[in-house]
Amino acid sequence: MGRQYEIPVGAQHISLLEPLHFKFTTENEKIISTDANVYYVHRGIEQACVSKFKFRQVSFVVGRVCGLCSISHTTAYSQVAEKLLKIDIPKKAKYLRMLVIELDRIHSHLLCLSHVAENSGFEALFMKTMQYREFSMELLEAVCGNRIQYDFSIVGGVARDLKPEIGQLILQRLKTFMPQLEELVNIYQHNWTLSLKNKGVGVLTREQAMQLNVVGPFARAAGLAVDVRDETEDLLPWKEVGFEMITDTAGDVHARNMIRLREIYVSIRIIQNIINGLPEGDLVTETKAFPDGEATVRLEAPRGELFYYAKGNKTQVLERLKIKAPTFSNVAGMVKAFEGNEYGSAPAIIASYDPCLSCTAR
Amino acid sequence: MKKIETTLADLRKDLAAFYKPELHHFMVMNAVETGEKMEVQWFFADYAHPCETTCFYAMIGREEEVPSIKDIVLSAWVAEAELVDLMNINVENTAKGFVLEPDFESGPLLKNK
Repeated sequence: MGRQYEIPVGAQHISLLEPLHFKFTTENEKIISTDANVYYVHRGIEQACVSKFKFRQVSFVVGRVCGLCSISHTTAYSQVAEKLLKIDIPKKAKYLRMLVIELDRIHSHLLCLSHVAENSGFEALFMKTMQYREFSMELLEAVCGNRIQYDFSIVGGVARDLKPEIGQLILQRLKTFMPQLEELVNIYQHNWTLSLKNKGVGVLTREQAMQLNVVGPFARAAGLAVDVRDETEDLLPWKEVGFEMITDTAGDVHARNMIRLREIYVSIRIIQNIINGLPEGDLVTETKAFPDGEATVRLEAPRGELFYYAKGNKTQVLERLKIKAPTFSNVAGMVKAFEGNEYGSAPAIIASYDPCLSCTAR
Repeated sequence: MKKIETTLADLRKDLAAFYKPELHHFMVMNAVETGEKMEVQWFFADYAHPCETTCFYAMIGREEEVPSIKDIVLSAWVAEAELVDLMNINVENTAKGFVLEPDFESGPLLKNK
């Protein structure tokens, strides 16, 4: 048995994109245990939502929980508020919400993939992936008006319509993106250097994912078929627009890369179906009611299951709002998947988790 | 959302009888202030039954200790640690300092401190 060393990584570290803190206990170069800390970036957003803002304003506040998946937060909040108000929103608004969620998933998955490449030492692939990702940011700006933090979902529906020319622009840009995506898949799947850094590394088994309640691409790469889009037919009609569950079995960094790439194909198909079959109708259901009672909502954000709980009291201000981000559910799995790996693999493993502390600490 | 009432005395027994990792997905814990009492909640989703959320809840006094379920639900330590910091709830074998700095004022989400 070699000597054991404790190596702190974060809250600020070259391989960390978020203020996470890990303390690795290593024996020679192997990680034998890990402590994690989400590191003190709590912003009190839940408290602000139930003390400083009226319930209709809250969708704009929760959009600031995260820059990357703000559409998931605004949509989940809008849905939970709509449950408290007991209203159904127009079908067109549902379709437009799904459109922006899937555009958001494309840019978020490509961002994660680029960081895995960077943390694996493949700088050129990082740059190529980020270059190819740019079209999704431009499309989000065209649809929502912002590249990030788009206040698109509001209580009762959506804030903007999709102009026909923007719809055609999306279809055209997706067509241009397809060969670029094929190129990325080819590199992430077959590049020999990357495979040495990613295959068999950071493995989480299906059993472990299940025991530790892991969510999102992290769980699906381990073979656990959990995707909220498969389950929330009553709120957004995902299956109607072509949702398909993607899973793998290896549970390593490579499998997580491939899950994200394959999910981008599904997102593209969903977006095309939405634009080609966009229903006519209103964008918002109006109501003068106040939220009352309790409700919960689950929504599949790019990193996995996002959960909102809200309690209303028939006033303008909510009684309680609780947000559970996907990374929060994955902390226990993240700690587990480091075990037995070389310390040098930790940066690629961390990036493959796609952690978002901005969401987690709120 | 299906709500099931429990007590702190029965919590571990009730959750052990309910929770099957291959069937249920533990999501999070939550607490809601209701006057002098707190309603502590444990949320589960069901893999087999889409759209179904089960919430176990117990009404507790502010000073009461909530039993830990870490040995029943292996990932629950994250949710328990968060509740200790943000709602100043006393959870068995759970220290402060996961979400907030250890010397931070506890319970920033409480309305009635």
